[in-house]
Amino acid sequence: MTTARGLWFALVFLVLVVLHYTLRPVLGWHASIDFLAIAVLLVAVRARPGVATLVGFAVGLVSDAMTPEAFGAGALAFSLVAYSASSLKAAFFADNLALNAVFVFLGKWVGDLIFLAAEHRLGGSEFLAQALLWSPLAASVTAAVGLVVLMLVRPVVGTPRG
Amino acid sequence: MPRPARTSSQVDKALLVACVLLSLVALVLPAPLRSTIAGGLRGSIVVPLAALQERAEVSRRAILVYDKSLRIADSVRLQASQAEVARAENDRLRRLLGLGAALRWGFVPAEALHGRGLGDEFTMTLTVGRNEGVVPFSPVVAPEGLVGMIETVDAMSSVAIVWPHPDFRVSAMSADGAAFGIVYPHLGSGATRFLLELRGVAFRNALLPGSLIVSAGLGGVYPRGIPIGFVVSELRTGEGWARNYLLRPAVRPIDATAVMVVLPVRAKEGVSAVWQTAVDSALRLVVAGGDSLNKRRADSLATAERARLDSLQAARPRADTGAAPPVPLGPAGKAAPATVPKPVQKPVIKPPAAPSTLDGKPGVAP
Repeated sequence: MTTARGLWFALVFLVLVVLHYTLRPVLGWHASIDFLAIAVLLVAVRARPGVATLVGFAVGLVSDAMTPEAFGAGALAFSLVAYSASSLKAAFFADNLALNAVFVFLGKWVGDLIFLAAEHRLGGSEFLAQALLWSPLAASVTAAVGLVVLMLVRPVVGTPRG
Repeated sequence: MPRPARTSSQVDKALLVACVLLSLVALVLPAPLRSTIAGGLRGSIVVPLAALQERAEVSRRAILVYDKSLRIADSVRLQASQAEVARAENDRLRRLLGLGAALRWGFVPAEALHGRGLGDEFTMTLTVGRNEGVVPFSPVVAPEGLVGMIETVDAMSSVAIVWPHPDFRVSAMSADGAAFGIVYPHLGSGATRFLLELRGVAFRNALLPGSLIVSAGLGGVYPRGIPIGFVVSELRTGEGWARNYLLRPAVRPIDATAVMVVLPVRAKEGVSAVWQTAVDSALRLVVAGGDSLNKRRADSLATAERARLDSLQAARPRADTGAAPPVPLGPAGKAAPATVPKPVQKPVIKPPAAPSTLDGKPGVAP
């Protein structure tokens, strides 16, 4: 990745993080868009698994700072998702839009499941509703937005590493 | 020199294990310690993001509150507009009841239905017909004055022409009975189409703007004394022997939703006193309002005077102290008579001048 592309990539990453803390609260949807997940997955498909894990861990820690009762759950979820995404990118990141959408969807959903399991705040029917209804919905919305983001950023940051 | 793939993979795995371990440690930390670490992050690197989130949430709340307040304002505005319409309708119906009470007999109340088609501004359909005793050429009136005349009658409805109709004619006179003429619709263009004309007034009878014009009772259709309109201005014509005047109608047909059909028997009896009664009752209301204001003022003056005397009395030394109250001396050294407060003089309310009747004769004071 050239320096210019690296700068563009950093800018896109920053914009996604800012959107997570501005647009998401304004929209206030129950099944909301997870811009942090998109940002982490964007890094994961362009970096080595170790670097992706570190970025995921840092982003998760930042998101955990806003929810101290689940401190560590976000970091764990994002670390695992980033590592897995970075390791599986060869399988998923062909130039197929549907596969990219599925990748984002799975990344978000699995991340949510790990987060819910780690924070062990919800139980019983609430956990099931969150895990099987709201998380897939949020993952779908995130996948749709992620797809748009991927299509937008591809010309400036280049195609993912194979 | 590039690292071997195996070493890189081991580094990646080591990083993953480290991150996972750190996350698990963070999860099992005691709550106060977790809060401290989270607070430390919020107070340092997460400050801008926390501020952004706070602003975003405030914005969202503002948007929601704005929408809510907009909805409330809309509904309040709607209710206010409906209340205004209902109040106007109540006022009109009350005045119609007053007109009914003044007519006493020989009339039929009716709802007026206005068409919205071309030419419908010249006629109105009334919800009463032959079954109620309505016959053609019966005058149609409203509390404000003359509306028109019944033209055709069915069993349960009738059609009346209203004063903008080109065929509308009524013999008229000034309220003091000095000037006579015939009222026609003003066939001008634009907004003046909805005015009236008083034609054929004798040249010697000049009418001032604002003068009331009433029906003269000639011709046998419209009884004497129904208000028709008010003089706006004189119309310049080529005729040298008579004056023509432009009139502002007393009734706007579109406002006449409830009207009275005066039956011919009642019309023959005369209705001059009906609208005079309305004028008298309005005057009585004004006088009564003035009386009550004067009375209230006098009462408040008396109350203030009484309060002042009470306070003076309270300020004097009490009898049980043994000290006689000082007696004021007159100019010759004699004791002056005790000060007696003057009775409060109520303001004299003059009765209003007796209003002249429509015939120009002095009326009876209310």
